[in-house]
Amino acid sequence: MSPAGQWQRFSFDAIGTAWHIDTPAELSADALAVIVLAVEQYDAVYSRFRPDSLVAALAGGGSITLPPSGEALGDLYRMLYRLTNGAMSPLVGRSLEQLGYDAGYSFVPCGGPVPAAVWDEQFEWSGSTIRSERPVTLDVGAAGKGQLVDLVSRALHDAGYPEHTIDAGGDMLHRGPTPLRVALEHPYTADSAIGVVDLQDRALCASASNRRRWADGLHHVLDATTGQCVDTVVATWVLAGDAMIADALATALFLVPPEVLLAEFDFDYVLISSEGRAQYSLSLAGALF
Amino acid sequence: MTPAVKKPYQRWALTGLAALSLLGSAACAASPTPAPGAGGDAANAAEPDTAGSATGDYADGTYSATGSYQTPGGEEEIGVTVTLASGSVSDVQTEPMPSNPTTELYQGKFSSGIAEQVVGMPLSELNVDKVSGSSLTSGGFSDAIEQIKGEAAQ
Repeated sequence: MSPAGQWQRFSFDAIGTAWHIDTPAELSADALAVIVLAVEQYDAVYSRFRPDSLVAALAGGGSITLPPSGEALGDLYRMLYRLTNGAMSPLVGRSLEQLGYDAGYSFVPCGGPVPAAVWDEQFEWSGSTIRSERPVTLDVGAAGKGQLVDLVSRALHDAGYPEHTIDAGGDMLHRGPTPLRVALEHPYTADSAIGVVDLQDRALCASASNRRRWADGLHHVLDATTGQCVDTVVATWVLAGDAMIADALATALFLVPPEVLLAEFDFDYVLISSEGRAQYSLSLAGALF
Repeated sequence: MTPAVKKPYQRWALTGLAALSLLGSAACAASPTPAPGAGGDAANAAEPDTAGSATGDYADGTYSATGSYQTPGGEEEIGVTVTLASGSVSDVQTEPMPSNPTTELYQGKFSSGIAEQVVGMPLSELNVDKVSGSSLTSGGFSDAIEQIKGEAAQ
């Protein structure tokens, strides 16, 4: 933490990653309870890896009602589905399962890539209601963790901790007057960095195709229109006002050129292509090495 | 664009260089855009050996420069050649010039792995509050991968 020494850290593992929450004062028992509850509830709604989650009910088709936050998530996915011509889709879960990234973590492909179902009139995400006439495996992995970080941030704020940093394994959110200097981890050598950025009152989310990788050529960033892994980009970072947007755009940058997204969203980015070139936004505050 | 030519401790604002970088990888952009923001930093970094002002108005041609940076084993050099066509960067080439075996190893890694243009700095040499990446994946995914590795080894 920046103001080293005084800040307190609360760490835990949830939704498949390590969380670290830094606050100037130690979190109260009530605040801890609120945070843990928020994480548990989110996981119980959206987890693709739990047979008892709310979205698992869509495996046979049907209708579910999400918590109120589901509306913003659905709107964002719908917009990115349009901007990426269907390459980024919450229906990509089936394609991930096909490649072996399934609820049982088998990591054994069932065969060649399969495209995700098309988001047409048979699938409706309206407000906080999802209705599907077909069996679907919903996967909100590209934005869900970011949204959860935002929800935890709001809970911290409401509990009397407006100044904080939340770090949830690739998704980071900073609230407060003192900027953080954040190293951008080298995609291939985790003990080095390709650059440093300043983070203040914004979210910084990273996505890398080389990390969640289980076999040659297989990783978790897919083009939903083909069901194939994207190999033109190896790592992205996005700075945006909130973590849900930053998280989603970090994935979207694997699928469409930044200009497409800059037309609709206010963000900074760094992108490393598989050719090893760095691309970054004009207004980024930081340095690349 | 050419971070490799920078001395690691000379932190520079990305603003001036970003446009050049975008153009350097214009293959994935819908259409190349001009480089209005390419400012003095970029010019200073490249030290063009043909005509070109330092204010962002560059003449077409090929620019070469040699940059140096400090390593624990001493100063190392890397060569960078930038080709400008119609005011846009049409090509960037780098030439590793390692003088000690460690650097040779690293520069070789970068040219075959992540990049000619982006080099890594050891985190231990950086004064940062946090690291942003996805190596900290824990829980289900990494546990499962470890388990599979273990089973495969038996």
